[in-house]
This record gives sequence, structure tokens and C-alpha cells, in this order.
Amino acid sequence: MTKNIRWICEKCNKKWIHPVDTCIYCSGKMKKQIGTTLKVIGMTKVFTPSPPHPIIPYNVIMLEDEHGNRMPKKVMKDYSLGDSYLDVADSSDNAVSVVKIKYDFYEAVKEAIELIGDVKVDAATKILIKPNLSIPGYAYIGICTNPKVLDALIEYIIEKGAKAENITIAEQSFFVPLEKAASKSGVINVIKKFGVKYADISLTEFETVNAREFSFEVSKIVKQFDLIFNVPVIKTDMILGIDGAFENLTRFLSKKTFTELAKDPTKAVNALALLPSILSKFITIGDASIGMQGNGPAENGEPGFFNLIFCSRNPVCHDKIVQEVFCLRKLPYVELAGKLGAGAYEMSKIKVIGSELESLRRDIKQPIGSRLIKKD
Amino acid sequence: MYIKGIGMTKFEASDKPSYVLAYEAAIEALKDADIPFSKIDAVVTASLEWFFSVEKQRHFPAMMSSMFRTHKPIISVPAGCAGGGHALWVANQLGYDNVLVLGVEKLMTCKSESITDEFTMALESKWEQLEGLTAPGSAALLAGHYFNRFPIANTDDLALIAYKNHLNGALNPKARFFGKKVSLDDIKNSKIACSPLRVMDCSISVDGAAACVITKDKTEVKIAGSGLCTDRIAPFESKDLTTWEATSVSSAEAYKQAGISPSDIDFAELHDAFTIVELISYEDLGFVPKGSGVKMIRDGTVLLDGKLPINPSGGLKAKGHPPSATGLSQIYSLTQQIRREAGDLQVKNSKIGLAHNIGGVGGTVTCHILKKV
Repeated sequence: MTKNIRWICEKCNKKWIHPVDTCIYCSGKMKKQIGTTLKVIGMTKVFTPSPPHPIIPYNVIMLEDEHGNRMPKKVMKDYSLGDSYLDVADSSDNAVSVVKIKYDFYEAVKEAIELIGDVKVDAATKILIKPNLSIPGYAYIGICTNPKVLDALIEYIIEKGAKAENITIAEQSFFVPLEKAASKSGVINVIKKFGVKYADISLTEFETVNAREFSFEVSKIVKQFDLIFNVPVIKTDMILGIDGAFENLTRFLSKKTFTELAKDPTKAVNALALLPSILSKFITIGDASIGMQGNGPAENGEPGFFNLIFCSRNPVCHDKIVQEVFCLRKLPYVELAGKLGAGAYEMSKIKVIGSELESLRRDIKQPIGSRLIKKD
Repeated sequence: MYIKGIGMTKFEASDKPSYVLAYEAAIEALKDADIPFSKIDAVVTASLEWFFSVEKQRHFPAMMSSMFRTHKPIISVPAGCAGGGHALWVANQLGYDNVLVLGVEKLMTCKSESITDEFTMALESKWEQLEGLTAPGSAALLAGHYFNRFPIANTDDLALIAYKNHLNGALNPKARFFGKKVSLDDIKNSKIACSPLRVMDCSISVDGAAACVITKDKTEVKIAGSGLCTDRIAPFESKDLTTWEATSVSSAEAYKQAGISPSDIDFAELHDAFTIVELISYEDLGFVPKGSGVKMIRDGTVLLDGKLPINPSGGLKAKGHPPSATGLSQIYSLTQQIRREAGDLQVKNSKIGLAHNIGGVGGTVTCHILKKV
């Protein structure tokens, strides 16, 4: 449900489109006003391309909500004056929501989850959140999952009824002590703020799981939770094309397994495609608030200020839509995983909600030099 | 304060770097003022220092310090496309005896998509840029709202505004379209940029610089009014989607300072970045009531030989739009008119002129009234 957000002073009713804590006129505190009933009051069809909006023509419609607040929205579909604008949620596995962050991470993450049919949690639900903290990096560089996304997710699931003591943030780094990444990224502050648990996967027990020609050592932690949120930061990657839903799962494996697979990129792709089938079911929240473009974290990649949240119940659909939005070349593990039954990879079977796919497409700096990215 | 000298490069796609363009405009203004640079107390500059430009030269005040070989204060006051007007407003407040005001832009080394992107950065980032709104897109939405509210107006009126400005620009030796004939059909048949606006409803990006020397010494051109108003960055927040309030407020201040009303204005240079903006500005400046702006173009009031000539220089549409230089090119035009030095562009009554300069989508507006002493 596309939301139109305003921050309003509780004392003097002045409105802001930007989040502020205190009214500069009367020192009043702010409350949020959210409009969801949106009508089209204006439109233009744009024929002038720009780097973030290369596909033309597209429409920009002006929407007005039940509070009289307005917002523009980019769409490919044609609308008429007076039409209603509504996003319909879809709880199927093949749905991927893509939400633009309008300063408010909580509303964006909430909207992204709601658009895939929401989640059911209660005081007893044990929840695992798996961010990407594999390399230490400040949040604004796009190397680690943005702590604001984790903050928003935890706030939302607690609001839905979950207990902080039943929530665990778990990750491991194959390169540095995990504390370094948790501290530098600011994720440690989120852990402290909510009092949620924190686990280093490398210190957990592992069990061997065999799938096809592979033998994986998988952390037993994946079996200890009722609900898993896979929260990668969306980065380009020299080897895989992108670090998305699949790559983030590799750190449920032991370092030994990871090191073995990393020796042979082709083998790694085949193994990666099997991960959804050997792990529990999970929801992926792709953090593309500040992602990474170019050659990724290992090869001087640079931050990409994409301002997007992706969300899907299926990692194949998730990574396929990330690839499509950022016009990246084919990701071999996605198609393979799809063929192995892990989810739909054919565009005709995937439903994008929140924004139309064509309205989101844009070029980012591609990773080059990968030995695995096949030319279409 | 008074205008002592004016200077301006030709507005075109130039192979000169920005500091050279600025230097040339400054030299012309100083010569026109008949004073050496040593008599200048301070310089106020505006330049957007475009990211995509191949110049790779930031820190414009220091660059101009190098060019002028001076340690005098050089104050940079960029304000989007209102940089020139903004710089003049600031210079007018400083209290110095002589100030050189300088605006320059170098953007034609960028490809058009990059120019669009650079202009778009003057719009709000998350609500507008992320949703594909560009400067022409924003103006197109404005046109749509205007046509819905005032059905008397239509795209033919916008074409007439563009045509009028091209007729004038073709006579202006410093204009991008100097000597170039553009027909009404060329305008009406041009491609859609952002519906309902066509390509020929949009101003043309150019390189260029403009300058003026302002002084406490009495000259024949007085800055009688100087208004500056800021407003929200996102126009969708406005109460009235067919008005840019900062134009009304800044012009009201300028009228008040000059002790005149809109009906006293003899001619004006308006910020026609898009034809619809010129149309609503007729109303926002108080020349006619809201909703009746089209009458001014239909009955010929705003033509070069009309009762209230608008954009005799050709405006941003035909003279060209190097953002930070635009406002000062308007001052150049006003001063020429008041001095009766405008040649083929000379309007009949030219004692009181108004310059209207807009930054962003109505987020910064300056209005200056120049008066013959």
C-alpha cells in the first residue's frame, strides 16, 4: 500500500515532508500522518530520459490522499484524473515487493512486508534475523546491511507481537572478528537498543547436509527458529554478479565449507543454487537503501544510493528482480536454483508489487571481470 | 544602489572554460562602468560548478581570485537557476561602494541526460527525483493543473509565448537563437518533452556568463526594488498548484521598495524556463488577475511593441539559459533598455523594468526593479 507520509507538529499542526523530531516554531513533538487512499489529481508523460530513469516514456502522476496531502508517483500505466491508486498485496511465493524509501525506514520496511501478505508473529515466535556483516564497513558505504533497516524490521515485528528476547541477530564473518563489523556498521547499537540477542554463527554447532554432489556443513541455528528474515545488503559482486538473497545464506555454512566452495567459482554457483533447499523457509528483505555498484566490496565498488527495499518469500524471485531492476547480466545461480525447484525464475511467473518493474529499471555500474556472468 | 556597468558573453555552446567566460563578462562590465578592478570592493559570484562538467575545477571564488589577482572578498551564492538574481540581491545588501556581481555556467560539455540529471538535483530527492520528476516534468504537471483549473488556457497559448520569445531572441546578438527563424508551426510540431509541454516549450541550455557593477554613485539606472523569497523545495506542497508563491512575495517586496505597483512596470524579463512558467508569472507578478494570463499573449500586450513587452531579450527560451548567469543577463537586458541601447530590441517605454529569476521549481525567486533616474 503506497503511503503518503507527513510529519506534523502536535502543538501547532505545521507539516513537513521530511522527518523532524521537534517543531522549530513551538518546540512541539511530531506525529506521523499517513495517507493511504490516493487519488490521481494530475499527470504528465515524460519523454526525457535521465540516468536514474532511462526508460521512456513513463508517467508521473500526482496523487492526493484523504488528508489533502500530495505526492508524485512514477508509473508506466496510464491513469486518468480522479482514478484511485492502490497497490494490492500478494502473499504468493512468487511475489516481490519493491518499495521506495521516503526517509522513513520503518514505513518502507513495513510496507514491503505488508505487500507480500505480512507476517504472523506472537510473543512465542522465535525469530532469526540474518544481516550481511561479512566485512566491516560504515552503513553509508553499502558494505553491511543498513542498521536502519534492521531497526525498522525489529520495531515492526515487536509491534506485531514478537518479544525482543525471542529475536536473534546472527551472522559470521569469514575474514574478521564479527564484532568488528557489527560495531563499525552500527548494528551493535540496534542490538543494544532493542535488547535482542546476538549470535556469531561461527560459534554455533554445524551438521553435515548432503545435497546432490555436495556435502555442506550447515549451522544448526537455522533449525532453532520459527521465522527467519534474510536481510542482505544489495551489492554487486565480481564472482556472483550480485550479493543478494543467496550470497547472504552462505554464512549459514561453516568456514570450511565456504572455503572449499570458493576455490572453484563454477562449483560455488552450483552449490549456491542448492542453499534454499537445505535451509529453512525464510523471508528475504533486500536492503538496497545504500547498496553497492561496480566491482563490489572486494574490488573498489562504490556506494549506490538506490533508496529501495525488496521483499519476497522466495530468494530466487528476489534475486531475479534485483537483477532486472539494476539491469545486471544473467545471474547463473538464479536460473539453476529455479530449475532445481527452489522458485520461479521466469519473469512471466514473478509478480512485482509496490512499483512496476519497468518504472524501477536503471543502469548501475556493472561488475566486470567475473568469470561466471554469462553474456546473454 | 545603482547599476554602473554591465557585461555578458554570447550565450552559446562555448569551448571556453567557465572562469574565462566569467572573466570576459567581468571585463566588459568594468569597461562599461569605466572603473578598474582595483576600485571594486567585493565580488559576489554564482556558479553551480556542474559535477558532470569536464572542467574538474571547483572552488570558483578561489579560481576567480586567481583570474583577478586579488585578495578581495569573493562571495559565492549559488541558488540553482536563480543564482544571478540571488547574487545581485546579496550584493545589494553588503554596503560596499562598488561590487562586481558575476554569474557563470558551463554545462554544454555534458550530454543531455546528464544535464537533465543535474537540473533535477534542484528538485526534492526522495519524493520527486526518486519518482522520476524532472524540471520539465514538474512544469508539465503545473501546466496540467493550470489547464484544468482555467480551461480557457491551452497549449496554443504556450506556443504563442515561445514564438514571441523566439521573435525577440532572433534579434538579440548575444542570444543562442540570434538570426534563427523559428515558426509557430516549428513550435507546435516539436516533440513532446513531458506532456503537455513540447520541446519548444522548454528553454535551451547554454554556456555563458553575465556581470554587472553596482555602485553607491548615482547613475542613470537605479536598483529601485530588490526582493528575495524562498519557498518549499517540492511544489506539490503548495496550497495552490497553479501559483508559485515566492514570485508574488518577492515581487511585492520589490514593488514596495520601489514605491510602485505592477501597472507601473514598462517591460520585464521573466524566468521562462518553460512557457507555462512565463504564463503563471504574468499573474503571480500582479500584471493580471489569476486565470487571465492568456489574454496578455493573445492580445499582444507582451510583444516587443506591446503595452508591456515581456522578455524582449528572447528570454531563457531563445536567448538561452546558463542557470547562474540567467538572472544577471536579465539585468543586462533591463539596463540596456533603460539606457535606450537595446538596438532592434528596444521597447517603446523603458523607464521601469522588472527582472524575475527563479531557482528550482519556485524554491528561490528574486525580483529586481530597475528605474531610470
